[in-house]
Amino acid sequence: MNLVIGGAFQGKVAYAKETFRIMDGWVDGAVCTEKELENCRGVFQFQEVIRRWMKKEQNPVQKAEELLLKNPEICIVTNEQGYGVVPVDAFDRRWRETTGRTCTLLATKADEVHRVVCGIGMVLKGGK
Amino acid sequence: MMHLVTGGSGSGKSSFAEEQILRFGEGRRIYIATMHPYDQESFARIDRHRAMRSKKSFETVECYTNLEKVQIPPKANVLLECMSNLTANEIFEPSGAGPKRAAETILCGISRLMDLSENLVIVTNEIFSDGYTYDKETREYQEILGSINVRIASWADRVTEVVYGIPLEIKTNEKIVE
Repeated sequence: MNLVIGGAFQGKVAYAKETFRIMDGWVDGAVCTEKELENCRGVFQFQEVIRRWMKKEQNPVQKAEELLLKNPEICIVTNEQGYGVVPVDAFDRRWRETTGRTCTLLATKADEVHRVVCGIGMVLKGGK
Repeated sequence: MMHLVTGGSGSGKSSFAEEQILRFGEGRRIYIATMHPYDQESFARIDRHRAMRSKKSFETVECYTNLEKVQIPPKANVLLECMSNLTANEIFEPSGAGPKRAAETILCGISRLMDLSENLVIVTNEIFSDGYTYDKETREYQEILGSINVRIASWADRVTEVVYGIPLEIKTNEKIVE
C-alpha cells in the first residue's frame, strides 16, 4: 500500500497516478461502495471514506486495517486536514482527529508515504 | 537541550514527544499538563493521554496559566504539552494574562523552564493552514500562537514536525541528533 497526503487541490491524484503508474481503477472516496474500495487500485478523497464509516458508527482504524488485508496493493490519497483551528462542530472535531489517527496507522503500514505540496511530492517514507 | 515538536491534529505528536523524553534516560520525568478540563470531551482527551503515559513514570504537574510559577524539581526531563492550550488559557481564562501579555508571559515561563530543566520537550500545534477565515478573536489567537511558535523554534536545539507519526526534522543541531 502507498499513501499520498497533502492539502486540498495540490495535485495529489495526478501525482499519485504518475508516481505509482496507476492510470485507471480509481474510485472516489465520497461515493464508492465497500466492494469498490476492496477491488480498486486507488482511492482518492479517503477522508470522505473515514467520514462515512464514522456516520455508520464504524471504527475507521479497524476498518482501515481490514481494508488493507483485502486490498494490500491499494494506493490511498487523502487530504491532510488537521492543520486548522479546532472545529466548533463536535462531529467535525472527531472527524478531524480520527482522520489523523487513521492516517497515522496507514503511514505505519504503508510501503511509501508521499506528501504533495503545489503538485510536488516529497517522500516521507520508503521510495527511492 | 530544548526540542520543539509540532504537527497537526491526531498526528502522533504526543507519543513522539514522550519517546524523546524516554530517550534522555533515567532522571525525573515531569509532565506539565495544560488542558483545563471543562466537559466530557476534554476529560476523555486527558484520560487518553494519561493512559499513554501510564508506564513511562512521569510525574504530572498541572499548569493552566502563569507557567513562570510552575513548581518543578531541578535537572529533570520536562515535557510541556501543549502551547495551543496554554495560549488559549492565557488569552481567554479569567486567571490568564489576556491577549496583550499572553505571548510574553508564556515565553518568560519557557525561558525559566529551559534554565531549570535538564532537557525540555515542548509540544505545539499547527493550526494555521486550513484556509478558513475565522472571527477576529480566533485570528488573534492564531497570531499569538504563531508568534510563540516562531520564538520557541528560534531558541530550540531541535524542531520536529510529526506527520502521521513520521518525524520531519525542521531544525537540527548535529551534535545532539545521532
